[in-house]
Amino acid sequence: MLVEFGLVLLAGLKFGAIYALAALGLVVVHKATKTVNFAHGAFAMLGAFASFLIVVHWQWPYWTAYLLIPLTIGAVAALLEFLVLRPLRRADMFTVVIATVFLGIALGEAFRLTYNTELLAVPGMFVGEPFIYWGVIITQETLWVIAGALVIAVGCVVLFRYGKLGRGMRAMAASVRGAQICGYSVDQVYMVAWGLGGALAGLAGVFVAPMAGVSVELSIAVITAGFVAGVLGGFDSLKGAILGGLLLGVIESLAAAYISSAMKNCVSFFLLFFVLMWRPEGLFPEKVARRV
Amino acid sequence: MFRRFAFGGLSPFAAVLFCTALGLALQNYFKYVIAIVLVSMVIGVALVVLVGLARCITLATGAVMAIGAYTSTLLMTRIGIPYLIGLFCAAATGALAGWLIALPGTRFRGHNLAMVTLVFQAVAIILLREAKWLTGGAEGIHVPQPVIFGWRVATDADFLVLIGLLSALVILLVTILTRGPFGKNLQAASGNEIAAEAFGVSVPAYLRAAFVISSMVIGFSGALAAPRIRILDPESFGVLPSIFMLAYPIVGGMQSVWGGLLGGGGLRILPELLRPVADFQELFFASLVIAVVMFFPGGMVELLRRSTGRVFSRRNKQRAGEASLLPAIIPPEPTVHVWPTVPANSSEVLLRVEGIDRHFGALHAVNAASITVPIGGIHGLIGPNGAGKTSLFNIISGFLEAEQGHIDFAGTSLLDRPARDRIALGITRTFQHVAVFGQLSCLENVIIGRGRNAVMDSIKQSFDHFVGGRAREAAIRDALAALDAVGLADQASMPASSLSLGNQRRLELARAIVSNPRLILLDEPVSGLASAEVEELRQLLLRTNAERQIAMLVVEHNIPFVAKLCRTLSVMGAGAIVAEGNPEEVIARPGVRQLYFGEAAA
Amino acid sequence: MTRFSERCVYLASVVIALAVSCASCPSTAEEQGVSATGITIGGMGALTGPTAFIGTPGRDGMMLAINEINEKGGVCGRKLTLQFEHASSPAESLAAVKKLTEQDKVFVMVLASGSTGAAAAADYVRANGIPTYNLYGSTPIIREPFAKNVFHGAIVPVEVAVRDLIAMFYDDGGNPQKFGILAGTYAFPQATLTAVEAYLKENKADYVVERFDQSARDFTSQLVSLSRQKVDSVLILGSFSEAGFAIKQAREIGMSNVRWVLDGSAVSKAIIPILGNADGLRGYFNVPYFPGQTASMREFEERLKSLIGSMPQGRPNNYDMIAYGSVFVIAEAIKATGCDLTWPKLISAWENLKEAGPTKMGGLDVSFSESYTPTDHQGNYRLGAAIVRNGEWQVYRVLDKP
Repeated sequence: MLVEFGLVLLAGLKFGAIYALAALGLVVVHKATKTVNFAHGAFAMLGAFASFLIVVHWQWPYWTAYLLIPLTIGAVAALLEFLVLRPLRRADMFTVVIATVFLGIALGEAFRLTYNTELLAVPGMFVGEPFIYWGVIITQETLWVIAGALVIAVGCVVLFRYGKLGRGMRAMAASVRGAQICGYSVDQVYMVAWGLGGALAGLAGVFVAPMAGVSVELSIAVITAGFVAGVLGGFDSLKGAILGGLLLGVIESLAAAYISSAMKNCVSFFLLFFVLMWRPEGLFPEKVARRV
Repeated sequence: MFRRFAFGGLSPFAAVLFCTALGLALQNYFKYVIAIVLVSMVIGVALVVLVGLARCITLATGAVMAIGAYTSTLLMTRIGIPYLIGLFCAAATGALAGWLIALPGTRFRGHNLAMVTLVFQAVAIILLREAKWLTGGAEGIHVPQPVIFGWRVATDADFLVLIGLLSALVILLVTILTRGPFGKNLQAASGNEIAAEAFGVSVPAYLRAAFVISSMVIGFSGALAAPRIRILDPESFGVLPSIFMLAYPIVGGMQSVWGGLLGGGGLRILPELLRPVADFQELFFASLVIAVVMFFPGGMVELLRRSTGRVFSRRNKQRAGEASLLPAIIPPEPTVHVWPTVPANSSEVLLRVEGIDRHFGALHAVNAASITVPIGGIHGLIGPNGAGKTSLFNIISGFLEAEQGHIDFAGTSLLDRPARDRIALGITRTFQHVAVFGQLSCLENVIIGRGRNAVMDSIKQSFDHFVGGRAREAAIRDALAALDAVGLADQASMPASSLSLGNQRRLELARAIVSNPRLILLDEPVSGLASAEVEELRQLLLRTNAERQIAMLVVEHNIPFVAKLCRTLSVMGAGAIVAEGNPEEVIARPGVRQLYFGEAAA
Repeated sequence: MTRFSERCVYLASVVIALAVSCASCPSTAEEQGVSATGITIGGMGALTGPTAFIGTPGRDGMMLAINEINEKGGVCGRKLTLQFEHASSPAESLAAVKKLTEQDKVFVMVLASGSTGAAAAADYVRANGIPTYNLYGSTPIIREPFAKNVFHGAIVPVEVAVRDLIAMFYDDGGNPQKFGILAGTYAFPQATLTAVEAYLKENKADYVVERFDQSARDFTSQLVSLSRQKVDSVLILGSFSEAGFAIKQAREIGMSNVRWVLDGSAVSKAIIPILGNADGLRGYFNVPYFPGQTASMREFEERLKSLIGSMPQGRPNNYDMIAYGSVFVIAEAIKATGCDLTWPKLISAWENLKEAGPTKMGGLDVSFSESYTPTDHQGNYRLGAAIVRNGEWQVYRVLDKP
């Protein structure tokens, strides 16, 4: 009974760590630019695909994937911000939403057309003997995903809070004009924000590729989970994104195990609904500003 | 003379009938395609109301369609209810779905609203799929051929006629609503919520109405398409189709019914046109949407307008036509309210504010404030920043609640009444940050100022407008008179956003006076204006007060302006009223000078 | 814009749209789809989207067969041409069959789409009378009521598949005590699940059912539940990606000593990289050999590769081979009309075909031969039982109608 619970919880944390990374990328972009990037899932898919290329196709060492992919996908994201989002900077919210949504779809389709396959399998990085604690089997891969994703996420939060970059982004989010007067360039900050968001998405892709394979469905799964996790945590809160992601993963897993596996999505959506109604600022918001 | 505007807006209706007729002349495959495209046009039009006019993002279109389609089909197959009744039931369940979404939905904007609709979408489809005993589950159900009063709808021509007629009808109904006061008020509600509330447009009620009406139409369209496609399965109504349908108004053009027609029709026919390159279909579709959104921000409607070489839109032309009625205008007969005429210097109290208290946390923002405004009087309220003027003002105008005290307006208490009730009582206001309804014309802005803007009223008025009733003429006449009074009559057909700041302030004033209120609350009316314009506005206010007997309460920082305008003056400091009386006398008081300039007492 | 000019613009756009659709308007033909030099075969299936793994091989397999037949001179002195239309949703499926039948005027209609597409086309083809070949749809809506012009090929009715699936648990000394069924919540696994449950109940077998959403990747909860109920035989109804990750996770939580049997669409080369070691997995396959298992299969793979350029991962899958074989069946039926190319003649020739298959007309032996009778339009009742040995799938026996 307890062993079962442990297994279910662990699975929830594993996927939750991925959701946390995905949500973090989304929230970073939103914090800096006030837009939700619906193409985020597609970036994760590209990251997963790049991981396939590096590990399976070209057979380079695995750690190179973790290094190169965030850089590459981050660059791709920054480039797309420059090409597609910059002209839309003055447009209203719907336009931007639709643009990013269809950008994600276009990227997914482009991938499918170049590599027409249902799913590409990628092996895990650590495939050794699993650990067994109190009867619960913990694979090396599980440990790596949970630990690795969380370390990166926390590192990102630290960077954002204390680095110059982060200051620029937060300033830009609070007041574009004010930040400009202080010497921050809108173009630069936005591009960097997208780059960072893209890098996080790419990383999420590398982590998730052995768990879920590379396919167009991955793109949809990541953006949905990331968005829901972001709202759960509080959309402008970085720590909220991480905690929201973990919470979402665990709730989904527990719901599938103890309520109904067919309705597990229902449960997460109901949770989301409750949070929206009764705590619209999220479950783990950052400092609450006083409204005067 | 006004009758020529009756039955305007028939062109979308006519276009749909034309497509139907065209289809009847073509082969069966084209009849099928046109029928499907017409249904998408209906959806596009419904989404223009919700996404374009009400500016509410929705990812639940697929689920609402599914609800409508399954309703009519299940009623037909399980209970044997005839198709036409099933269609109306589908509209009803669609409306119910819209109402359910709106219950939480109207509280949110932006991505939180998207989430709420996404929750509805996902949960509805999961429930449809899991209720196997009812809906046949994931494998779907077979839809029988409809029979309408003995006519079995079987051939492609039959379907085209049925779908064409019903689509045209529904699109006509939506056109009537969007062109009339309902549509204008809805745009106001979504464009500037605070100003809308101040003039009786209840934002939650209008947004809810937008959800209900658009969902009603979408549910109807689902039921309309179901027998044509013969098979219903939950997957065809998933999130991805909802996202594709969201593109209809955005690509077509968000502000008009034509946008819905062009977006819905154009995007739905794309897969048929792209058959030779079917592999690339989705990539093409996505790229097209991105391109349109990037390079043609107004959508296809805007693109077509520009390419046909017109500088002004058809709507502006119509408005210009209305404005050309100007030379015949005589001084207005008040058609809204008639208040008893009182001499300007009456001492009868109109507005009595007593002992108002308000805290924000530890800050005592308003401290036992009291103000009286006589009938027809002009009362000023000045004080340094942070004195609490804005808070007091917002309490009086209904946007903030008082913790203690009374506000009495000609015998009625204003406490515990929402802002939107003010206009019916005869109180209007202007705003410190000018709050005109940018996408509407000046005339339409002022017409909203007349009041009587409840949802059901505006729906009735929209139908009345369509058949050319007298009410429309009266509204235009009043509005033009108000615009004339502020000197903006020649700008009547221009969109409000194109006006200069000074003119926008005049527009706000016109909107505030058109209903002949008893009291106007003016919040920093000259902030940001050059001194010449300040003087013009002062004259305008004095004239309005004299001609229309309207009392005014003015909050301002510009002391000379206030001194020359107001007959009485209150000074606020640190939340309390510190001085009151005749302007010259009050301004000279040492306590007041110390408050402002820190001068030592003389 | 004035009302008039608005209408002009609208008329123009509609006309342009129609003109473009007319670009694929039919050429003149003596008989629908038949000319002096050619016979047109119409095909419909999903080329993009989640079911593209059915439609694209459908088109490619058909194309390969048509090229081979044409190289050998065609049928009845005429070359075959393929007109394939993409369709993924029910609305598109109906549009595709209408276009093919009415605009392109094909001689034979081939439904190479999954069950929902075939279901949408069902009413239309029955009413229309065009000889229709349902390649992949197992849903009852396309099969019932019986229609004289509709034929079902390699994919067997779901009741037959279910019997053979369960039989695989008993192969090679298997002794299932408790069955676990992992079923997707979407259309095609649910249809199979209904038949499976009926069959197991009839045979008084002990079973439990767990479900998962389409494209799910986390099966821990379901597997934990199955494990708790001491299930020793698990049937997975879903795609290869779902099955692959499910089995992988089962191993990770310590579920060993379980016999895994997969539904047909999960039996694919692509499942092996997901698991690394997939030996022991069983499932049914809709053609007699697995790619790479015989010389003719290897030859088929070569020819397919030169047709489509590069071989996407997981191809050729059974849909490729089925489509290939089906075209030969059609060709044989056409020949059997005595070159009297009308629909009634084709239908009556078709329903008297016995052991029709690619080898009879010089094609590769890659699919089961098909036999029809005037009352039974199901051409094939056979399935291959497949197992993974040494990292490769092999068909180890053929299951036939009892």
